[in-house]
Amino acid sequence: MISTNYISKQTYYNLLGIAGAIITLAVPYYLHTLHTGVEMIGKQSLCPFKMLTGFPCPGCGITKSLMFLFEGEWQESVKQHLFGPFVVLFCFLVIIFLGIEILTGKKLLRSWIYSVKLAYVLGTILCIYHIVRLIVFISSNNFSQIFKESIWM
Amino acid sequence: MDQIENQNPDQQSIPVFQNDPFMVLILGLVTCGLYLIYWNIKAAQVMNAVSNREVISQPIAIFAGCCLPVNLYFYYLAGKECLPEIYKRTGEPQKDQGTLLLVLGFFVPMVSAMIVQGDINKLYK
Repeated sequence: MISTNYISKQTYYNLLGIAGAIITLAVPYYLHTLHTGVEMIGKQSLCPFKMLTGFPCPGCGITKSLMFLFEGEWQESVKQHLFGPFVVLFCFLVIIFLGIEILTGKKLLRSWIYSVKLAYVLGTILCIYHIVRLIVFISSNNFSQIFKESIWM
Repeated sequence: MDQIENQNPDQQSIPVFQNDPFMVLILGLVTCGLYLIYWNIKAAQVMNAVSNREVISQPIAIFAGCCLPVNLYFYYLAGKECLPEIYKRTGEPQKDQGTLLLVLGFFVPMVSAMIVQGDINKLYK
């Protein structure tokens, strides 16, 4: 039998984290090679929540935001999702710091990564942003337009 | 609804986060996913406390609410690392829920949250 226990659990999860960050960046980049961001606007979202209800979830628009970012369209990127550029930054930081952790065996930025205070600040900003976005979305779309965003129409 | 007091001395270090799993689904839908961000933070606190170490960091819990790959990572960690600890405490037979939660987390994250909440609730019985 081939053993897969030659790397520590911490290294394994660090590798998973790096893989997740790479996927987060790679999927919009791949889509960007196939379509422009403008082409993606109005297409059926693959977000399970939006497919079900027609309403955006807190993460809706991040893929399009990243696509616009790869096109160099900063303003449109922020317009699609305020956190888009921060997601790119977060992913690069994850890749760099987790990579260094794997190579050196040292734990870096743990006080930031496990900070409850930071989590609540980020969560609050995201919640406020999402509430504002929902208000704008509801006020600028009627019921049939919202329903059209789901898979039921 | 959420209960904020601890129940017995054995569980003093474990924050109480007891919800009806069905309410997690309803609140997740009604709040357009906002409740799930709060749920991720609270569930991560409970699971870290049960595991006696920081398995799921708080920023990961936040980003899980708005970024699909991070969400999958959250549920994978929950299923692989945290739920076995909960089963150990509740005396249930060990089972690997990582893959199930990963797949459900991809298609219907709220159902994954319901499963995890159901297991968390068993801590307070």
